[in-house]
Amino acid sequence: MAFGYHGCYLRIDASNGSAKRVPLSEDVLRQYVGGSGLGVHLLLEEGAAAVDALAPEAPLIFAFSPLVGSPLTTSAKFAVVSKSPLTERVNDSLASSGFAIAGKGCGCDAVVIVGKAPQLSVIVIEDGEVHLESAEEYRGLSCRETEAALRARLGNYRVASIGPAGEKLVRYATISHDGRHAGRGGSGAVLGAKNIKAIAVRGSRRTEWAHPRELTALSRSLSQRSFGPATAKYRELGTAANLLVFNRFGALPTRNFQSGTFEQAIDISPEQLAVTREKTRKSCMACTIGCEHIYSNGKSGVRMEYESLFALGSLCGVGDSDAVLRAAQRCDELGLDTISAGGTIAFAMECVERRWLENANWLKFGDGNALLRAIEMIGARQGLGDLLAEGSRRAAQAIGHNSIAIAPQVKGLEIPGYEPRALQTMALGFAVGARGADHNRSGAYEVDFSEKVDRRNVTLDAVEHAIATEDRAALMDSMILCKFLRGVFEDFFGEAAQMLHHVTGWDATAEELRETARRIVRAKREFNLLAGWTPSEDALPERFLNTPLPNDPEAALSRERLDALVAEYHRQRGW
Amino acid sequence: MGIFMAFQHFRAGNRLGWSNCHAIICSRLPAPMHVEFYGVPRQRAGIAELDVNAETLGQLLGTLAERIPTLRELIEGEGLNSAFVANLNGDRFLSDPETALAQDDCVLILSADAGG
Ligand code: SF4
Repeated sequence: MAFGYHGCYLRIDASNGSAKRVPLSEDVLRQYVGGSGLGVHLLLEEGAAAVDALAPEAPLIFAFSPLVGSPLTTSAKFAVVSKSPLTERVNDSLASSGFAIAGKGCGCDAVVIVGKAPQLSVIVIEDGEVHLESAEEYRGLSCRETEAALRARLGNYRVASIGPAGEKLVRYATISHDGRHAGRGGSGAVLGAKNIKAIAVRGSRRTEWAHPRELTALSRSLSQRSFGPATAKYRELGTAANLLVFNRFGALPTRNFQSGTFEQAIDISPEQLAVTREKTRKSCMACTIGCEHIYSNGKSGVRMEYESLFALGSLCGVGDSDAVLRAAQRCDELGLDTISAGGTIAFAMECVERRWLENANWLKFGDGNALLRAIEMIGARQGLGDLLAEGSRRAAQAIGHNSIAIAPQVKGLEIPGYEPRALQTMALGFAVGARGADHNRSGAYEVDFSEKVDRRNVTLDAVEHAIATEDRAALMDSMILCKFLRGVFEDFFGEAAQMLHHVTGWDATAEELRETARRIVRAKREFNLLAGWTPSEDALPERFLNTPLPNDPEAALSRERLDALVAEYHRQRGW
Repeated sequence: MGIFMAFQHFRAGNRLGWSNCHAIICSRLPAPMHVEFYGVPRQRAGIAELDVNAETLGQLLGTLAERIPTLRELIEGEGLNSAFVANLNGDRFLSDPETALAQDDCVLILSADAGG
């Protein structure tokens, strides 16, 4: 077996707590590396595409990577992979920190969970030994409370858990560890459907590195570069720095994508928050960047990312920073994906405005209290919250009035904070994304913020650039490295080959890894095809097509242009 | 307001009045062009925007480096460090130092990795 791997995964049946080790061949590991790639491969092996995402037999996979435990900066990460209950398509979300190291320390490269526990339970894994314990006493607890309670009970374990939203099967519930979330696509609901509140891991099995000295030298160089200008934005302001930039470019989604600028953007910007509040910084384990910026809000601190800021701020028209911070905090506690929560609530706010949604007149754009009330109702699936817990696509189907035209989603996944008409390469990235509208699996926005294209009038030339960002993301998510490192590489695939060589001993080349990335993208597509994908899914909601942004008439995306971009994307992919 | 005064203004705690914090460099010259800073460049500059006279992007960056020393880490030769980008009027991204600028232009300077 190659260095850096254990050469097996742990398959756990949650219905009785039994577990077995299943060997993984070196050939499979070299083809899919780890993380998202390995997770999708295992998902296909398990036949998950044909199974309902919330059925007991649906597998949920935690996949580690050969780099986990190495001195390479930002490598303490794991992928959570399953069929999404929100999109019914493939879903892979990533999270960081000690869970990855302790999980891999259990002597496996992945953990596959199937079945449904008879009562709310915690799966305890120590050095590969597995048992179930009751978690009934933690019902209704937040992720952080659950983590703390389990550590108090079990000792020095690393815990990934769901909040109340996961227990209630909210279709965009998260799995959380150490304050960070495997956020998108509803993996928390998949775990909730298995009656699993948490997974606690502890392990001491280390893997060896093929070339430890060279690995240490490369790690040092990478860490050094991670202190440089390419990551300054993340260190100094965090992703929230995007807010004023996007507002200036008319690309800040506002009031359910009715506008690309928000008149109160400055009030919720990190520049303003840093002046009026205490701020601290944190980082994931084994990270030299430290992008987490935590702002005080009353007695507590709230980690604030651009995506939460836009989704719970401008998208809902809320410019009261107290309300936005509180909303982000409640989403964290309940275990809700902030993008989908904000997107679904903003959609409902517009439906109320259009009088398509009755008995909800309290739900108005700009009303921070209404936002908070809606979040609580979603977390508890109470009243209107029961509908909104289904996500904007299903809610639109229930509401009617052709409201699907304004539901801010692709394949059912709510659109992140990039106005597609103002950033049209990103529009393509959203349309073709395997897990739906997504800025982490396609970095096409980088192309829009470059000289390569005219962002409001992109041509077919944009497609190869969009594909390149998707391929890079597929490899980064499988190795797994934080994408905030991407700016430090001059030749990512070349350096990735070196890293893998030093860790595993493989004579990997940049070209081999480019093919690996394409293979992983193809595997996701294969899953989607098996799950029933049709070409009409690679599209954007009607709202974005043919109607320019009101504040920027040049930001218009015709249906013909998007169709041509998508067709060219499929052609270049060979699909 | 000279750039030194703009710094004093910033240091004095007026960090939020972006539109008021508008320093005019070379104010004897007519109709200067406008520069806006976002994110890290704004942190380094200590101001959100200013007016400056320049005929090309290279000249503009040179002037900025001269007048605001804390911006020098962003500027390499006549261009920007690859971690930063310049944009003209919210439309077009620029890197060629020879790019001609007109007096009514607005140049935005921001981090290259705009998303994430
Ligand atoms: S840059 Fe941020 S998200 Fe990435 S590993 Fe570091 S702290 Fe975590």
